[in-house]
Amino acid sequence: MSPQRTILIIDDDDDFQASMRAFLESQGYRVAQARSGREGLEKLKQAEPDAILLDIMMESVSEGYGIAFAVKHQPEYQAYQDVPIIMLSSIKESPDERFPRSEELDLIRPDRYFSKPVNLDLLLETLSRTLQRV
Amino acid sequence: MNRSVRPRDDEAIPGARVVVIDDDYAMRLSCRQILAKSGYVVEVFEDGAKGLEAVLAQRPDLVVVDLKMPGISGMDVIDRVHAIDPDMVVVVITGYPTIGSAVDAIKAGAYDFLPKPFTPDELRLVVGRALGRRRLLLESHRLELERELLKRRFVTFVSHQLKSPLTAIRQYMDVLIRLEGTPEAETQRAEWLERSRRRCDLMVRLIEDWLTLSRAECSELVRRREPLDLREALTEIVLACEDVAEKQEVTLDLALPERELVVAGDEGCVGVLFSNLVENAIAYNRPGGKVSVAARVERGEVCVSVTDTGRGIPEECRGLIFDEFFRVKEEGEPTPAGTGLGLPISRRIATEMGGRIDVESEVGVGSTFTVRLPLIPSEGADQEMHESQGALA
Repeated sequence: MSPQRTILIIDDDDDFQASMRAFLESQGYRVAQARSGREGLEKLKQAEPDAILLDIMMESVSEGYGIAFAVKHQPEYQAYQDVPIIMLSSIKESPDERFPRSEELDLIRPDRYFSKPVNLDLLLETLSRTLQRV
Repeated sequence: MNRSVRPRDDEAIPGARVVVIDDDYAMRLSCRQILAKSGYVVEVFEDGAKGLEAVLAQRPDLVVVDLKMPGISGMDVIDRVHAIDPDMVVVVITGYPTIGSAVDAIKAGAYDFLPKPFTPDELRLVVGRALGRRRLLLESHRLELERELLKRRFVTFVSHQLKSPLTAIRQYMDVLIRLEGTPEAETQRAEWLERSRRRCDLMVRLIEDWLTLSRAECSELVRRREPLDLREALTEIVLACEDVAEKQEVTLDLALPERELVVAGDEGCVGVLFSNLVENAIAYNRPGGKVSVAARVERGEVCVSVTDTGRGIPEECRGLIFDEFFRVKEEGEPTPAGTGLGLPISRRIATEMGGRIDVESEVGVGSTFTVRLPLIPSEGADQEMHESQGALA
């Protein structure tokens, strides 16, 4: 039997957190939650998640990108640089559109981008596929 | 004043980089020792040329410079440092006989000065304060950038604000449908419905506010200019806010003058203008706190102040609170539910009525919003007006 996987949700929307937590737990995942980017980075070390769901627009309009950059490139979070990041936003604007032809994008490119509301089947499929790889 | 709350601008930057430029060897040595002990990264230089080279290459947070040096003078250093980075903070060291030049240095943009001889404590105090200033400048700069970004991406941002509640509600529905028939669905349903309802209400408010703002922008709202007595409007608003205030354990206090306070405007608009201020004063207060609404006549204007005993507005945010969608968010403090449009609407209405809103605030103590509107002299009130000028009720 595979061990229980932990998903860290970083999102400032309490309602999104509540529904996503219930859903993921019903599917056998363990859930850790953070309501800001800063809290997310702290929880990363405590929860040691297998994947991260990361909202883009939190306190600032691009906070999620900053967090993704920190996880993937800052020495402090080196231990977690391979944790898959799934980015979320209410706006249908993928990072590729946001940073067209930009070198920055390579630094923060998420493993998957979803717009909200998240398609639950697609999310489950993505999670199981991504987590098999790790 | 509440001294238990440390003013934010006294907070230095940990690990801050300090460059000291002084031709006096002993001075360089002691500055380095004292400041390094306080945890700063210190570099010392014997003249302006070498010091500026380091400033250009390393962009320190603070430059401490002796005013009187051979070669490039301290005054020149101030100029050149600010040409490199206007947000870099400079403190000058002066001898007592040259204290007059300290004033010139401050005029030229130095933040503070240290008269020689000084004690280690004096040095630490001035450097700490200067670094607090630096922190404030950097933070303001960051917020300014954020504001620029917001302006450029305004349509995206508004869409996001409008879409977020909808996607949250939709997500509840999707998950409920998915979990239908399981015990989880039974436990969550009632709570999620209630939460969805609250999101709907907030969204309706957001759209209404948005509409109010755009109508105020076209001056449509304030076209109706009927004389109305602000005392009645304020009494109604304070009454209407009493329930909310009680829930938040905040006392409401209203002080009105005997005389009429007639302004020209639309009753509904005036209501919105002041309700926003009073509601904010309650929401950003603390349990046991107080909101005082006071009206008076000052130099031919009606002057209404709304004072709270809340958390106050950080200095770097004060210039931004009237921006659409700007919300003051502080680590560890809950942000009250709101649309981020209340203050912009209030300011807009005040401006359209020929008035203005000013804000004074102290972190940890509270804020006062003061609205000034042109007074319409009512019959027989001219005499009274002169008598009551500046007097509180």
